[in-house]
Amino acid sequence: MSFYTIDSLTFTYNNNNNNLFENLNFLIEGNQHIGLIGPNGCGKTTLAKLMLGILRPTDGRILLEGTNIRNISLSYIGSKVGYVFQNPDKQLFCPTVWEQMSFSFNYGSQSSQKNIEDKINYYLEIFDLAKYKDASPLTLSRGEKQRLALASVLSRDVKFLILDEPTTGLDLLRKKQLEKCLLTLRNEGKGYMIISHEARFLDRYVDKLLTLGPKGVDVC
Amino acid sequence: MINLDPRTRIFIVLIISSAAIIIKDIKPLVLMLLMTLLLCKLFSISISGTMKKLRKLWYFFIVLTLIQSLFTHSGDILLALGGIRILTTAGLEAGVSIILRMSIIVYSAMIIASASSMDIVYGLTAMKLPQEIGFMVLLAIKFLPLFREEFTDSIIAVQLSGADLRRIPLGQKLSLYTYILTPSVIKALNRARYISLSMESRGFRAYPTRTCYRKLKMKVADYFTILVALASTIAIFSFN
Repeated sequence: MSFYTIDSLTFTYNNNNNNLFENLNFLIEGNQHIGLIGPNGCGKTTLAKLMLGILRPTDGRILLEGTNIRNISLSYIGSKVGYVFQNPDKQLFCPTVWEQMSFSFNYGSQSSQKNIEDKINYYLEIFDLAKYKDASPLTLSRGEKQRLALASVLSRDVKFLILDEPTTGLDLLRKKQLEKCLLTLRNEGKGYMIISHEARFLDRYVDKLLTLGPKGVDVC
Repeated sequence: MINLDPRTRIFIVLIISSAAIIIKDIKPLVLMLLMTLLLCKLFSISISGTMKKLRKLWYFFIVLTLIQSLFTHSGDILLALGGIRILTTAGLEAGVSIILRMSIIVYSAMIIASASSMDIVYGLTAMKLPQEIGFMVLLAIKFLPLFREEFTDSIIAVQLSGADLRRIPLGQKLSLYTYILTPSVIKALNRARYISLSMESRGFRAYPTRTCYRKLKMKVADYFTILVALASTIAIFSFN
């Protein structure tokens, strides 16, 4: 059984008569490393939101570990799949950086509470955010917010990650840190899907490239 | 839908909502509501759609109606428990008039809400309201949907972090909502601030006067609609 099964997926936004995409079919395994590319407005972020259950398919279905995501809650999907939003502002909702990092451990259904602080501190150090522990995420710069969004998702114990344009706003050093984290994820046997326009970055860190268009996906 | 000047919408809403507040009796309120619904049809506003969209607000109105009915004790007794008056004719009348009044105000507000926010600003400016106030109204109109969007995004992010809102105990759920409320308000305020900065960077308030590409002009249909609305309201008042 595949981790994700995209079966005859069609999606149309309410205010539009044309399908954004129709009859998409593909499978994603839990340990696969996928790159999703396509021109602006082709529906890459929409596809990610459909895979997370934020949006509902117009037609067709998406199965997560064999279960239709229509029948499971966002929190259940969130416990299996980590998502870095395209706009980090949408993701940061806690009063302080530390609370943002520890939120899923306090409220989520994380089984192991062991070494949580160490884990959080590790990712704060990696993304050079330790000095902002007590600061409000809203006062951070765009790049810092992006780093915090990445750190809070990477620190969680999920099976698969969807990263929507994760390199936006990152300088060279932080991009290298992200690359290290992706390698760690690979070594841990975790899968991810990266939505990006950076072909060079994708070339190095994905095994399979999906090109999204209105009539389907091409697999390379 | 007939294409009327935004000022016509503003005048009509002023007339209707003022009348809804002043009128006390049920029969004229029913007539006012019928007139409002007729006007909504004229402006192609879906009556059932509005009802569905504001479902939660109607629940609130029903609670208000019940409270009003239960706590007004004058008039003849309709329902009593032991020696306690539960419902009286005056209480029932007060409850019904509350729901009628609220319905009139909500549906008349839809006449303005169904126009584009820029149209309303043009209308207010053409009515000699200072342009700053007009644009403040525009930002205020935009603020609520912005806040709602920010709050919804935060709730989605919370759930995707693994927090199951259905299983969290009520007390913890309430504290969670308060927890995300402040950042949501700040984010919505920040976005409103960026809109105002963007407006200023494009020359808003750079000069004391401002010209408009779009010129509003009242047509015969506008005057006729306002006159009909005004005459009908006066007739309903006489009926009162």
